[in-house]
This record gives sequence, structure tokens and C-alpha cells, in this order.
Amino acid sequence: MENRTRILEAYTARLREHGTPPHTVLAFCKSLNLSERDFFHEFASLDSVESALWGDWISGLTTRLENGAEWKEFSARHRYLTFLFAFTESSLDWRSLMLTRFSHLAPVGSPPFLKAFEEHFKVFASDIISHGISTGEVAHRGPLQTLYPAVLYIHFRAVISFLLKDESQRFERTDAFIEKTVAFAFDVIRTQAIDSAFDLARFLAPSAWGKMS
Amino acid sequence: MSTQESIRSHRLDRMAALAGAGARVGINYLKHYGRQAISGRADSEALQEQNASEVFRTFSELKGGPLKLAQMLSIDQSLLPPAYAKQFARAQYSAPPLSYPLVVRTFRREFGKDPREIFDAFEPQAAHAASIGQVHRATLGGRAFAVKVQYPGVAESLRSDLGVVKPIALQILGLRERDVAAHFREVETRLLEETDYEKELRSAMHLSAACTHLPHIRFPEYHPEFSSRRVITMDWMDGEAFDVFADGSAPQVLRDSIGQALWDFYAYQIHDLRLFHADPHPGNFLVSGDSLCVLDFGCTKTIDAAFHAKQFAFLDPALETNPARLAAAMESMAILLPSDTPAQRAHLTALCKKSLELLARPFRTGHFDFGDPAFMSAIYELGEENRRNDTLRGIRGERGSADTIYLNRTFFGLYSLLTRLRAHIQTPLPTGLVFE
Repeated sequence: MENRTRILEAYTARLREHGTPPHTVLAFCKSLNLSERDFFHEFASLDSVESALWGDWISGLTTRLENGAEWKEFSARHRYLTFLFAFTESSLDWRSLMLTRFSHLAPVGSPPFLKAFEEHFKVFASDIISHGISTGEVAHRGPLQTLYPAVLYIHFRAVISFLLKDESQRFERTDAFIEKTVAFAFDVIRTQAIDSAFDLARFLAPSAWGKMS
Repeated sequence: MSTQESIRSHRLDRMAALAGAGARVGINYLKHYGRQAISGRADSEALQEQNASEVFRTFSELKGGPLKLAQMLSIDQSLLPPAYAKQFARAQYSAPPLSYPLVVRTFRREFGKDPREIFDAFEPQAAHAASIGQVHRATLGGRAFAVKVQYPGVAESLRSDLGVVKPIALQILGLRERDVAAHFREVETRLLEETDYEKELRSAMHLSAACTHLPHIRFPEYHPEFSSRRVITMDWMDGEAFDVFADGSAPQVLRDSIGQALWDFYAYQIHDLRLFHADPHPGNFLVSGDSLCVLDFGCTKTIDAAFHAKQFAFLDPALETNPARLAAAMESMAILLPSDTPAQRAHLTALCKKSLELLARPFRTGHFDFGDPAFMSAIYELGEENRRNDTLRGIRGERGSADTIYLNRTFFGLYSLLTRLRAHIQTPLPTGLVFE
């Protein structure tokens, strides 16, 4: 087995059993019977091991979906929904791990161990947005639209928070949450609502600063 | 945030939304009285319409539970001013559709497969909405199916919403909780049952098998192998929507025959099976050739032999001339209570006599022409009169059996459908009924 896979599997096993990551690279390598040289050949730090772990999950999921037969026919909204539903379905295998690593996180903020997870998601999200612009589902908005992937990432993290707190049978409430929030989000980015909000913020911000100084 | 807190904030949001409706209704009243003060007259009907729209808008913003609550309040016409009832009747057409990915997700959750792995073809767009879900058309091996898919989490949100919304709704609509408590319980039970697709499948298969011998009535075949907690699959039925047929140019002979099939279907269920389809709504029927197709068994009601005997004792023609018998029948159903004063007794008896004369009218002559709209409007008027009757409101106590709600709703629905059909049909007294 190649070292990358060995490291990832050992790291996952440890997280599952102990609920915490290994303390040091040295201790981790010892338990694996691996030299530090071999470890650092694959990963720069323990955080980057975990980053790869979550990142591989998202990239595996998106690759599988993008190669699916129906993907090409789907609108941007349906692509995003399909991703989120596939994610919640797949999360059943990851739920206990996610509870140890995600449940204390706020939906904003980027911990180092989620770097690849976030990057993969944002690349996927900008593909969805470009598709939405080409089909007219998402309004063109110049530089402002570069923020969309970041906004979708916050939404995605909110879905994860909801999912981890969901106590309903077979997590059905999460399905409803996804359906309703995505419908709302795409209603907003299709219209001028964001422009108006941005305009209002620009109008209010200087006077607010003026009052503070 | 703990789960408890998140539930509470979710409830608070909903309460805030409802309080908003209450406030808007209040503002409408202020406008109304303002207009009255200026012009000396005001259009009370218009005010009611406006309030109904406000309340309805809020209910439909909240979807789920409040929407069903609105429907349940509109069931009993006498509880609601007509303007509200009209707005709420729209409710079942305005639920948001499920997206195709959510339908796929539901299939994967229920069957572990995509709909297109199960069927040869599956339409991504819903063919039509059902009360708490939607219907897709699918085919397999040349056979067409109607696949009904339920909104996820609808049962849970229904339960929590009803608890929160009930007191506020009572407030907005001006009803007294104590007097309708048993009625609410009954309606809640039926509404929650409607979310149970496994029960619906059992009822549908049971009722359609039991009624298959009736002439001019058809049922789709149900497919348990493609059904689950959230999905019901049945044969696709081709035909004309009931309201389109009724409002169209169908010949009188066909109207009478479809009307007769409808009447016989209900008579058999209520009097022989004592288990009946309690939602006679035009959306639940199709007309195909010379047959009536029954599509939806989400709402069914069982009554026991004792209740059936007490309830249909009111059809005894002797009740109209024999006050002692009428009083006995009313006491057996707790319409009259031992604590009533003689004046209250007289008032209730007069009212009961009047309702009976009207509602039992089709049974009196053995045949009845529903083509005369005067009959149905007399029923509406009676409901409206009872609602406005202050003496009646002043009479306290929980009266009548909760079992009558769905029976009344069924007869009310049946009479409405027959009136819409303008059918002239045979309406014999149920056989086997013994009047002592």
C-alpha cells in the first residue's frame, strides 16, 4: 500500500477511535512504523493529512456526480441540490467523524484541516455559478459574483450544522431545509435583490463610519 | 445552540409571522371603522374578504401545518365565515413543488435506487400536486404509473406547527377553544393520518377491493412493491377532471349515471363497510367513459355500529312529528345535555329540526334532483345562520360526537359534488336501518 493511503487510513482510524487527531507527527509515525521522511514526503503537517481526508471526500463526490448521465441536463439549481442530497446521503458513513470535528465549528471561519474541503467545494460552486449564468438562472453582476462561491460555501456549512443537529427520522428535516434554502438562495441571485442590498450598504456604510469617528 | 433552543426559535419565528397577520387584520378593522366614521357606511363583506386574504397569506407563507390547519378550519362551514372558507379552499392548490433532485433523494432514501433505475421512464416534472406531495408519471414495461411523493418531514412539522398555531388561529378567527377541543383532536388525528402513506396504501387497497363490484366505479391498481412511507405508486388513470366534466357539456343521462355511481359508492361505504373515503373533493375523482375513478384515500374514517345506529336514527321520518323521539335521538348524541334549561332545549330542538328537514331531504322522496341549486344554497344559508346565531354561541358545553365531523364533511362534500353534476338520482333510505 502506498504511504499516502496508509497515512490517511491510519489517521481516520485514530480519529474515529479517539475522537482527537494524533498529538505529534513523531508519535503518529511511530504507531505506523513509518519514517518522518516518508511522512513529510506526502504531507506537510498533520492538519494537511486531515485536509486531504475531507477534500478527497468532496472531490470524489463531485467527480462522480459530474460524470452522471443526467448531470448535463440539470440546471444550476438542480446541480447544487443534487450535490447537497448526495452529500447528505454519503454523510451517513461519516456522521460520527463529522460530529467530532464539525459540531463545535461555526459556519463561518476556515480551520486549516478543512482547507482542501473548502477549496474543492468553491471550485465546484464556481462551475455551478458559471453554468447558472450561461442558462440565465443567475444574473450577471460583474465583480460581485466572485463572492458567490464563498456565499454558497457558508450555506453548505450551514447545511452541515443543520444536519448534525437534526434529530428527525432519517434526517428528513435536513432534506426540507436544503430544498427550501436553495430555492430561496436561487430566487435571490436571479433577481436584483443583491444589487439593492449592496447599494443600501454602500449608502449606509460611510455615514455609519462618520458617526463612529 | 442546543436543539431545544433551535426548536424554540423556530417556533418563535412562526409565532411572529402569525402575530403579523393578527396585526394586519387589526389594521383592516381600523380602516373599516375609519371608513364607517367618515361615510357613515362600510362594506362589511369587503372587510371580511380582505381579512381572509391576510390570514390566508400568512398561513400559506408558513406552509405545512398552518396550511393544513387552514384546511381543517374550512371543513366545517359553520365554524367559518364564507369569505375565509373560500380563501382556504384554495390552500391545496398552492403548496410549493418538490424539485426533481429532492424526488430522487426521496427514492434513494426509500428504495436505495434512483426513480430511473426502477422505472423505464420517469417524468422529472410533477403531473399535478397532491395535498402534501406531488404526483409524477412513470412507465415500466409499457404500463403507466402515477407515483405520489410526499414532502420530507411533513408529519413532524405538522405536529409541532399545529400545537403552536392552534391558539393563535382560534384568536384570529374568534373561536372558543373549549367548544371545539374534541373537534380539533379529531381533525388533528385525521390530518396526521394523511401523512401516513403506509396506512393510505392499506386503506386504498382494502376499500377498492371491497367496492370493486359497484357499477360505474373504478379504482387504480396499487403497487406495494413501489410504495413506502413516503411514496405510493398506482396505475395511471386517464380521464377528465371531475370539475371539468361537471362544468362541461356532458349529457344529462351521463351526469345522472355518474352521480348515481357516486351516491351508491358512499352509501355502500358508510352503511355497509362503515369505513369511508372522507374527502369528497373534486380533485380526488376523474371521469373516464361512463365510470367514475377514485384516486386518493389519504383521508378515511371508520365508525362503529353503535355510532352508526345513533347517527342514522335521525333519518327516521317519525322524528318530524314525534317530539319525544326527536329529544331521545338528540340526547343520545349529546346534542342536548341534562344541564340545559327548557329555553335552551327548545332553541336547540328547533334548530335540529330545521337542519334535519334540510339535510335529510334527499332521503325523503327516494329520488332527488340535485340540479336545483336552491338546495345547496339553503345548506350554506343554514350554516351561516347558525354561525351568526348569538343564542347558539351562548349555549356552552362540548356537544355532539367528534365522529360526526367527518361524516358531515362527507355528506356536505357529496351533496356539493352532486349539485355540481346537476344529477338526478335515486336516493333510497339505507337498507337495514331499523327505527324503533
